[in-house]
Formats: sequence, C-alpha cells, structure tokens
Amino acid sequence: MPLIVRDHTWTQNQNTVYISVPLKGVKTANVHVICTDEYLKVSFPPFLFEVFLFGPINEEKSEAKIGNGVAVFTLQKKRDESWEQLFTNIDKDKQKQIREQAILKVQEKEAEKSKAKAARVQQEKKYALQTMMKLENEERDRIQKMKDEECARATAELGFWRETQRKAAEENENQHNNQTVYQKTERANAPPAVTLMHNTGNTTSGQRSKKQKPKDLPAPRSAGCIQISFTPRVFPTALRESRVPEEEEWLKKQAEARRAVDTDLAELDDLREEERNPDWLKEKGDKLFTAGNYQAAVNAYNLAIKLNRKIPALFSNRAACHLKLRNLHKAIEDSSQALELLKPAVTANAPARLKAHVRRGTAFCELELYVEGLHDYQAALEIDPNNAALRADADKIREIIQGTT
Amino acid sequence: MSAALEKPQIIAHIHKSLNYTVFDSRWIPCSAKFVCMGNFARGTGVLQIYEIQQGELQLVREIEKAKPIKCGTFGATSLQQRHLATGDFDGSLNVWNLEVPESPVYSVKAHKEIINSIDGVGGLGIGDGAPEIVTGSRDGTVKVWDSRQKDTPVVNMEPMEGETKRDCWTVAFGHAFNDQDRCVCAGYDNGDIKLFDLRNMSLRWETNIKNGVCSVEFDRKDINMNKLVATSLEGKFHVFDMRTQHPTKGFASVSEKAHKSTIWQVRHLPQNRDIFMTAGGAGNLHLWKYEYPAQRTKKGADDVDMGVAGSVNLLQNVTVSTQPISSLDWSPDKQGLCVCSSFDQSVRVLIVTKLNTV
Repeated sequence: MPLIVRDHTWTQNQNTVYISVPLKGVKTANVHVICTDEYLKVSFPPFLFEVFLFGPINEEKSEAKIGNGVAVFTLQKKRDESWEQLFTNIDKDKQKQIREQAILKVQEKEAEKSKAKAARVQQEKKYALQTMMKLENEERDRIQKMKDEECARATAELGFWRETQRKAAEENENQHNNQTVYQKTERANAPPAVTLMHNTGNTTSGQRSKKQKPKDLPAPRSAGCIQISFTPRVFPTALRESRVPEEEEWLKKQAEARRAVDTDLAELDDLREEERNPDWLKEKGDKLFTAGNYQAAVNAYNLAIKLNRKIPALFSNRAACHLKLRNLHKAIEDSSQALELLKPAVTANAPARLKAHVRRGTAFCELELYVEGLHDYQAALEIDPNNAALRADADKIREIIQGTT
Repeated sequence: MSAALEKPQIIAHIHKSLNYTVFDSRWIPCSAKFVCMGNFARGTGVLQIYEIQQGELQLVREIEKAKPIKCGTFGATSLQQRHLATGDFDGSLNVWNLEVPESPVYSVKAHKEIINSIDGVGGLGIGDGAPEIVTGSRDGTVKVWDSRQKDTPVVNMEPMEGETKRDCWTVAFGHAFNDQDRCVCAGYDNGDIKLFDLRNMSLRWETNIKNGVCSVEFDRKDINMNKLVATSLEGKFHVFDMRTQHPTKGFASVSEKAHKSTIWQVRHLPQNRDIFMTAGGAGNLHLWKYEYPAQRTKKGADDVDMGVAGSVNLLQNVTVSTQPISSLDWSPDKQGLCVCSSFDQSVRVLIVTKLNTV
C-alpha cells in the first residue's frame, strides 16, 4: 500500500491553481503523473498523492514542474472562480470511477499520440522517396534529351549528305551529257582547249575517274594451287566438339600404361632383354593365337601382364585365348578387367571396348548365363549399331531367353 | 555529366523487320542504298535493295533467286559498274548487275558446298592490280577468281590428299599495295588461320587460336599489311601486328575477351583504320580502338626482329537485338553510318557519333 502524502500546499488565483507536493527524497525520474480534467494523481513509490479537484481544469494548458525535491503543478482552471478547497468530497464509488476514467483517458491519449507520430514518420518517408524519384527522373530525362539531340543532329547530317549525294549524281549526269555533247562538237569543230578547261574545274572524284582513260588492268594471274594441311589432333572431332577432360584422361592413361613397368620380380633375371618388353610379348602372344597355340599365347600374355598390369589389350587378348580354351570363367574375368581399364569411354577406345564386350558376351552365353550375355551384346551394339552379325547374335540370344522362360 | 557523351555513341537510327532470314548486308558504294541478302522460308534466295529516305527505309528492288544467298561483296567491281558478287548455299559464285539482275554477269560453280565467305579486292578505285574475288567454303577449299577467266579459279588452296578437310568460315584479302602483291587470309572452324601469299603462291604463315575462327579482316586491303583482326567462338578476338614477321614465332598479337558469346563479325572503319566494331552472338556491338605500342618492333633472343602488339580499348558498346548480329558493314561514304543485320530477321541502320574526335 502506498503512503498517502498529505503535506502538500496549494494556492490559487482566479484562473490558476498551484499545488506543491514534496517529493520526500524520491528521485525525479521515478515520479509518475496522471492528470485529467478533474483528477490529479502523482505517484512516486512508495508515496502517492491524489486529489479530486474541486473544479474542472484544462489539462492541456496545465504544467507540471518536477525537480529540486518538489513537484509544482500549475493547473489552469476551466472556469474562472475561486475554489473554496482543493478536494471535492465525493464517495468512494465515484472516486473509483473517476480513477478508472482517468487511466483510460491517459491510455487513449498515449495511443493517439503514437498513432499520430507513426503517421508523421510515414509521411516524411514518402516525401523523401518522392523527391528522390523526382531527382532521378530529371537526371534520366536530361541524359535522354542529350542522346536525342545527338540522334537528331546525326539524322540531319545524314539527310544533308544524301542531298549532296543526289545533287552530285545529278551534276554527274549533266556533266556526262555535256561531255558527250562536247566530244561530238569536238570532233566536229576541234576546239579542244575550251572543253578541257571547263572539265578540269570540277573536282568530284567520280568525275575524275571518268575523265581518265580506263586503267589497263593487269592480266589474270597465272593459275596456281597451294596445298594446305590442318593442325593435327589425336581425336578426329574438332576441338569445339570434343569432351576435352575425358580425352585428356584417356591419353594420360595410355601414356602411363606405356611407361609403367613392374621391375621387381625375381623371375626377371632369367629373361632375355626383349622378353621384358610387354609390347614384344603381346606381339608374340598375338602370333601364337593366330597360329592356334592358345596355351602358349596365354603364357606370353601372363608374362606381359606381370610386367605391366595396365595395358587393356593384353587382358582382352588373353580373354580371347581363354574362350578358345573353354576357360570361360577366366575369359569373363579377363574381359571384365579389360573393360575396367578402358574407362573413360571415348571414341578412340571404341573398337577395343567392342571386342571386350563381344568376348564377355560369348563367354556368358557358353555358360548359359544368357541374360548377362545379352547385356554385353547390347552394350556392343550401342558402340557399333551397324554391325549385322552382332545384331543377329543378340536376337538369337533373346529368342533363347524367351524360349526358356 | 556532359563527359559521358564525349564517347562515341551508337544510335539505332532505323530498324526494319523483314520476312526472310538475312545473312549479309552491304552498302552500294557512292549511294545511300544497301543490299540485303538472305533466304526466304520457301528456300529461295533473295536480294533486296533499300534506300534511306527521311529516316525510313524504302524498298527499291526485290530480286528472288533459286538458291539462298549467304554472302556478297562489292570489293572487286569498278565504281561505275557496281556489280555485286554473291556466294550461295549451293557453292555457286555469281556476279550480278543490279540494274539487270535476270542473269549474272559472271557465274561459276565455285565449290561443292556452301560458300561461307566472300571478299573482293582491286575494285572501287581502291588499290592496284587485277580485281579478284576470293571464296571460302565448307568443303575446306579457298579459291580466288578473276571475272575474266571462266570456270577455273586463278588460285586454289585445298587440303592435301588424304587430309580430313575442315570448314573454311571466313576469308579476307590484304597486302594489295601494288600490282603483284596480294595476300589472302583464311580462318577455319578448328581455329586455324592461314595467310597465303599470292605472289609467291605459298603459305606465308599459319597459326591456331584454339576456337573456330568466325571472321578475319585486315585493317586496310590496299596497304602493306598492317593489322589483322580475327574473331572466334567463345568471345575472343585477336589483333595481330602484321608489319613484322618472326621466322618461328610469327606475328605478335593481343587478344581480348568480350561479348561472352561468339563474335560473329569484325569490321574496320573505312575512314580510320584503328577503329573497328565487333558484333556478338548476344546481339551486342562493341566499338574498339587499337593503340600502337611505343615501339612496334624489338630485338628478340636471337637478334631477330619481333613485332610488339599494342592494346585495345573499348570505346562503346550497345545491345541492339536479342539474336546474333550476323553481318555489319560501314558506309565508305559517310563516316559513322553502318548497317547491320541479325538473325531476328531484321536489318538496322546505325549511326556512330563523334568518331572524328576519338
């Protein structure tokens, strides 16, 4: 419960009431005043001073001065009269009512004030924006006007130039006619000096070239042929059509494959110099394969692979040998290995991939794994769709699958 | 603010929409008329002659031909005759008298495939020597023709036996400063640029700029070759200084990336050989000025002269269309007037201002 302050003092004259309330040591910041037309409340915790005024006052015109330990209120009376006392005696209910009204009124007033402030801020922002836009528009218009002036000037010049062109053309015509006339008269009368002098007066370049004799043009050039060659490229497609990163990768892999040689095998000491070269061994293997000696070819390829695991052709060819030897599982393994090495898929290694797919497909079919075989044949067809034999084989396999299911 | 308008301005003066695809547009010398060449949707070729009158284009004449026309030039005719040499989609070279266009003055089946580019030299009172026309085609050959010799070219630059051919996309004449000397520069789709010397009948220089060459042009045809600009796909163009040739390194060059798309054409201003305009695949035009370096030659490592390339400054750029600008031609009579055609089936006449103070 707040402490009611009763030691206030008040004085009055005809139109003003002065109330002085001691603040009893409370800081001025903590003083809160609610004032309406017939009620004044000053609360400075823990103290409270309220007064129900004898007569109505003009709240807007009244002042409150809070400082120096005292709050002085200068209240403007609505009616010029002398008050007998500051308080009116009204019952509790009325008091409560008045209090509530006062609070409501204050709240309303605050709400109105904040609304008014918001509206004002909005107005100002709008105004600022509009002035900005106006300035920018002006700038733009100015530049546009300058551009249009340029344009108009240029078109005027153009029109003028065309006029001069036309006039020059007309004059040319006239001169031409005159010239022919003069030439005719020349032949008839032979007064050459006069006509020549008249002609030289005119300086248009077109006319000058007419007056000169037609230049003797040099004879047509004697025929020649220049043979040219174009910048070489490893891949047949133009640079702009190629998939450069993949091609680079493929070329790098090839280069690595050529270079990589695993030299730490003990058996190497037994071999002759040429037998250490995987390329030589591959050729040997190929020759043995064509001769029909499949086991020997496999041996050659084994050695070559031991030396260099990265050449896909070795695996692919060994797969072919295994096929002939009916080592179907080994054939499948080898052709899979070859296909692994032939990634990334570019047009340059297409024939090699084709062979590997066909060999693996055949091996699968021999093992009666027709579905996998068909997959490989389809992959091969993708690489080379024009191969009739492949297509026939693929169809056969499909029939077999459909026959058995 | 007035400083902004001291740069040359590119003003789109007239814009005309056509009802056919236009591939090339050329000014008729000594007149305010130009010719547009292209093909109708029905597959026939068309030549239209327009005249500028009071800010509008008036159609003077329309000539329809059997085959679509790809390119044309007035470079090899005299100022009186003003015959137009055209290359068409069928590989035929025809020279037309536009007053009597029913049958050509000269006609030959120049190539087996479409003629991509044509250039003429020796006419219009510019330069000395016989008037000649050069054509470059998709069949990989470049042929030089003289209208006095029927059926066979005067010079034929073809790939060797067994060589895979590459499309020739552009040709240009240059170095025609006296009766005998002449050079032809050809650009191919794999980025090759080859310079042929017609006096010695040999390949004088070649290089590769990695991307297909869309357009080459010498800054002047009738002088000792000074500069060559080559534009390519991927928005790059190269300016070569042609005065000093090093035996191994060739010509010095400076390259610039602009347009962010294919640069379709480059054309030098006839009145100032250091100013040129490039036309891009996004419908934009860039105006450039070349600045020469302090020294145009320097001594290389082995005491042989090497050229020094200068620098290129962008003067102005403007976007006039959304489709590529396929052709551009400066008027030889009025400085700053140019006509350009683009693949949105329209032709525009542009005025470039303040070129005399650049």
